[in-house]
Amino acid sequence: MSEKTKFEPRIVAFLCNWCTYAGADLAGTGRKQYQANVRVIKLPCTGGIDPLFLIKAFERGADGILVSGCHPGDCHYNSGNYHARRRWNVFRPLLEFCGINPERIQFSWISAAEGGKWVETINGVVNAVRALGPFEGYKKINAIGPDAPSESFVTN
Amino acid sequence: MRTWRLCGELFLFQLVLVRYSIVEKILKKEKFNSLITGLKDQGYKTIAPKKDNNLIMLDEVQSADEIHLDHVQTNNSIKEFFLPKTEKILSYRMEKNKVSIEEPEGFAVKTVIFGSRPCDAASLPVMDKVFNWDCTDKFWIQRREASAIVTIACDKCDNYCFCTSVGLAPDSKEGSDVLLTRISDDEYLAETVTEKGEKLVESLGTVFTPADNPGTETLNRQVATVEKKFEIEKVKPWLDENFVHKVWAEFSTKCIGCGACTFVCPTCHCFDIVDECTMSKGDRVKNWDGCQFKMFTLHTSGHNPRSTQDQRWRQRIMHKFKYYVEKFDSILCVGCGRCSRVCPADMNISEMLEIIATENSQTGDKE
Amino acid sequence: MIEALRKKAEELLRSNTVNVIYGYGEGSTPERTRPVFITKPEDVSKLTWNKYCVYNLTTYLKRRESRKLGKPAIVVKGCDAKTIVVLIKESQIKREDVYILGVTCNGVGEPMATKCKACDVHTPRIYDELIGEKIENKEIPFEERYAELEQYEKLSEKEKWDFWQKQFAKCIKCYACSSICPLCFCDRCIVDKNQPQWIDPSAHPRGNLSWNVTRAYHLAGRCINCEECQRVCPADIPLNLLNKKLAKETEKNFKYRAGYNIDDELAMATYKEDDNQDFFK
Repeated sequence: MSEKTKFEPRIVAFLCNWCTYAGADLAGTGRKQYQANVRVIKLPCTGGIDPLFLIKAFERGADGILVSGCHPGDCHYNSGNYHARRRWNVFRPLLEFCGINPERIQFSWISAAEGGKWVETINGVVNAVRALGPFEGYKKINAIGPDAPSESFVTN
Repeated sequence: MRTWRLCGELFLFQLVLVRYSIVEKILKKEKFNSLITGLKDQGYKTIAPKKDNNLIMLDEVQSADEIHLDHVQTNNSIKEFFLPKTEKILSYRMEKNKVSIEEPEGFAVKTVIFGSRPCDAASLPVMDKVFNWDCTDKFWIQRREASAIVTIACDKCDNYCFCTSVGLAPDSKEGSDVLLTRISDDEYLAETVTEKGEKLVESLGTVFTPADNPGTETLNRQVATVEKKFEIEKVKPWLDENFVHKVWAEFSTKCIGCGACTFVCPTCHCFDIVDECTMSKGDRVKNWDGCQFKMFTLHTSGHNPRSTQDQRWRQRIMHKFKYYVEKFDSILCVGCGRCSRVCPADMNISEMLEIIATENSQTGDKE
Repeated sequence: MIEALRKKAEELLRSNTVNVIYGYGEGSTPERTRPVFITKPEDVSKLTWNKYCVYNLTTYLKRRESRKLGKPAIVVKGCDAKTIVVLIKESQIKREDVYILGVTCNGVGEPMATKCKACDVHTPRIYDELIGEKIENKEIPFEERYAELEQYEKLSEKEKWDFWQKQFAKCIKCYACSSICPLCFCDRCIVDKNQPQWIDPSAHPRGNLSWNVTRAYHLAGRCINCEECQRVCPADIPLNLLNKKLAKETEKNFKYRAGYNIDDELAMATYKEDDNQDFFK
């Protein structure tokens, strides 16, 4: 087996409590299968996701990130997802400008009724990131603790 | 018994001083390449001034072509090769009831710093005092032992240079192992300052050629003339008296409280220790810190003993020209002028010291 | 022009309209100026104006030390004046708390700063008193304003990553970029918060990337392109490229330019139902 096929991407998903998380739950109760590479972090609203969360996820070894919440107009807090959308509209190009492939940070609207869309989206993200391979650039700079290769720590 | 031993030590110490005499050689510019290869063959890492877009940086070089010599001062100081901007002091891992610690090794690599300025070199013996004080800093000391400093005397200077005002000169030997002084367009006079320097020169064999006319007076040494801006003797007496004075605030209103001055300074040595960790493992890291930051003195309680910028600016001056002098009998400033060059608000430290020195003579007149 | 400036400054101080003038004075060398704070009418001769007046003096509106001097009149160029608009919109100052001494400007810096090359605010868009001959502000097309970015945008993903890693590696975390920024006015910066530690304070590649990206992002839709961050960076990192990229995206997506119209809603504090969402699944 080559290195490439052995690679299992680590995906961190930031989900809103009211829609996407419930949608993922629905996929679970419906016994739908999807790739197990995703770690879900539940938050009250996409509007409360600071872009630093995404940076932190990369720092802690994520190969890809999914941010998902309610469809526009459906926000539990009326406008949280609209504000989030504005944020990602500028943050995503910024990361792209710094050399981070935009495929590694994906966004979606998934409602509580869309268990099927959740499965599709996750499989899509995992496959896309699998194709990109491990996030080598970030891995080089984010090793920490005794396991960190010494050259990862620039002293001079 | 102790007195005897002390006397003996003093005697030996003097012997060392007396025994060491300067060796003069010539280094031709065309030999720079063999110098760098020679050093590399001996396993040295060579640091030299290098051009990087708009900056001249002391950095590792692989060949003589990279070396840049036509500048007043490098943008970074020599300090970062002994006290890096960030450095891991240990790694740890926590498992159940056990904590295991791993200390870094191999941080002190054999290094030659080639072409730094005399002011930079002079900062090293000054800082040795604090790093060998109540706690000996193995990182600093081992790096110092592993390095040799080959300085090039300044053949030009700018308005910001004030080494002559703090007791140094553009061709000072303090802290250098070898001092190079330009004597023609393609020749440098090499003077060994320490035994380490002499050994280094010897080890490089034919790179250095014997001087035709030993005795420096016969040679045409090209050294810049740095104007003396103030009398350093007048600074400390004024500082002793004027912890509270309106000039602190007047001068520092324009300060924006960034740490640029302290970070480019070759003698500012404050650092902060932080843990960068996940739940079970992490690194303990030493980072540069600076007294100009508001956070520097902030207590956990929320109280800040230096709550305004004039107090922080006063601290910088006081530490350099009063506290350090009292503790270690050295001025914590070598007059490189980097802080003034880099200051976003054009705060000029030599101007501040001029004010102090003149204030002092004025009060002296009154008395 | 200098005379007119000094005369107006003297008048403002004499009439007690303001307590202090934030202006430019002579610097360490003829190629430099420095901020000066004039509180006495007899000191107005210290004020100067020339092409080396690059500083954005509105940064002193956030500093406690300068605010202590009382109500200020600030000498501002067209670009700096935009900061005041943003500060008013963000409730940091009230319009009546600051007297704006606008100066017309044909570009500063030697060589001329990049910001001046596509300048459309030679005459400030907001002022109480205008010093100098009015220069007509010409519209500059979108592409031309962001032309600088093009060569970086067309790099490949890896080239971009390598370029920025090389730039960020130089960062020494002196925070001069945020200290000088008139819009970085948080009393406690995110980087100083350590429970939890969001951004590693170390100047290693990980900490530097997080810091520089976050600093830039916090200015999204706010940066008025005064380029002070880039000017003061002792490590010579082209920080303004990041700010400019964000300004470009803000303008492209939300038709918003920070500091141009005091009636515009702040881009990042509002939304429209039909905002771009092409990249959403």
